[in-house]
Amino acid sequence: MSEIGSDNLKAMLRAIAGRIADSRDQLNRLDAALGDGDHGASISAAFAKAVAEVADLPDPQPSEIWLTTAQSLMNGMGGASGALFGTLFLKGVAAIRGKERLVKADLNQLWAASLAGVKARGKAEIGDKTMVDALEPAVLAFAANDDAADAWQAAAEAARNGAESTRALIARQGRAKYLGERGIGHQDPGATTIALMFEALDSYWREMTNGKT
Amino acid sequence: MSARVHKLINQPENILSDMLDGFCAAYGDIARLTDEGLVIRTTPKDPGKVALVIGCGSGHEPAMIGWVGPGLFDVNIAGEIFTAPGPERILQGIKAADRGAGVLVCVSHHAGDLLNAEMALELCELEGLSNVDMVLLYDDISSAPKGREPERRGTAGLFFVWKMLGAFCEGDNDLAAAKALAEKVRDSTRSLAMSLSSCASPVTGQVMFEMPEDEMEIGMGLHGEMGMGRQKALGARETIDLMLPPILEDLPFQAGDEVLVLLNNSGSMTLMELFILYKRVAEKLADAGISVYKSWIGPYATTQEMAGFALSLCRVDDQLKALWDAPANGAYMKQL
Repeated sequence: MSEIGSDNLKAMLRAIAGRIADSRDQLNRLDAALGDGDHGASISAAFAKAVAEVADLPDPQPSEIWLTTAQSLMNGMGGASGALFGTLFLKGVAAIRGKERLVKADLNQLWAASLAGVKARGKAEIGDKTMVDALEPAVLAFAANDDAADAWQAAAEAARNGAESTRALIARQGRAKYLGERGIGHQDPGATTIALMFEALDSYWREMTNGKT
Repeated sequence: MSARVHKLINQPENILSDMLDGFCAAYGDIARLTDEGLVIRTTPKDPGKVALVIGCGSGHEPAMIGWVGPGLFDVNIAGEIFTAPGPERILQGIKAADRGAGVLVCVSHHAGDLLNAEMALELCELEGLSNVDMVLLYDDISSAPKGREPERRGTAGLFFVWKMLGAFCEGDNDLAAAKALAEKVRDSTRSLAMSLSSCASPVTGQVMFEMPEDEMEIGMGLHGEMGMGRQKALGARETIDLMLPPILEDLPFQAGDEVLVLLNNSGSMTLMELFILYKRVAEKLADAGISVYKSWIGPYATTQEMAGFALSLCRVDDQLKALWDAPANGAYMKQL
């Protein structure tokens, strides 16, 4: 990965949507324990819609791809998930606006802005049993690795570990907080979705790199 | 979590549009559906009055579509099942409702409702719509302790806010006064809910949580969120004796107070059970020296087929009583 263009970003989005669609039932089951059991259904539909809307954009800049995804998630999904996953993409837009090709440093800024935006919108910190538990370690791991392939892999691992760490936690945000201690032992579906996103991105870049060599 | 409930729907992805089409076909004299999917008063209120808007998840019918009409809401932006609508749709609702005197966006406190309303207000700012504000409403004492009221959830007791705020906004009042009135009713209202059963998500068909036959949950939220905890199911009298004291202590409601009472049916509780429960509520309030101005018993904000109820009290003064008695004509909230 030397530089990322719009075609790569579209493919990354498709990879995320595909991974989440494959995990639809798993996410529904996780949400059934902590929420109303439809997270997989709603987020897989929302990413599928985002992919379709992005595909309709004529010759988009990277920032337009991210903006359309944000709007599609926010307005297509609704709920706290729509607001938070929409914010994740929306806050990244400013970091890449005006750029046709993105380098690793741009992606560092993109993810940092996304993380800050999600934390501010949801008023959540690490340990609250939310998507932040997967997103923050992933963003930090990504930035800590200069080599892009290492960075994607480290981010995916950090997100997966972060998502798994939510099992032991008592929720302090979102509707799961009303479960109190009864939520212990259940993994947060939002954090799991973040882990699936970063796993999908890591797989995509691994395939791209292998394809080229 | 394997139990399923069969619901008479068509395709799950069309639940919302099918329901809104049916509702507006039935009650077209009161509410109509716009091209944007907003439920709006068929006859708008006069220009120059503050407009009331609420976005909320569906699945709680008759809330909130049944509360659109004269003396109530101007626009309801109905989201998917148990899912708040996104910011663009709330913005559309605000624009559709505006009668030139400001728009108050009501938020029944849940993460999705609040986050999307906040984002909608940011969009208003970007578009230069300045006379728009939101009010955060909550009433459920089980969801956060006393002293941390703003963390509490919005549940059935917001019934009182909707009715009185709706009446207030038919008068010549400004946006700031409308918000203050909403907060006054909110701060006079307390609720506690219970359930004997679970319910199924219409989207997945799956029962949302396990509830053994001989247990009950005190402090159930409007979407099946858990509350204070499980215990053995009790009789009607013992259930009220358990639920009413914490409500009275929380405000507190005291001897000499005058209150409105709502026994809200969560879905499949029978009227027979609710009347039996109300008998004990009336006895206990009389014992406490609290007089009841008026009572309502019925399904006003439901959680699908959940067998449970919420008990809500609102302390009223002369202003609130007059607003309560003012006319309202929603499909499912009428005051002559």
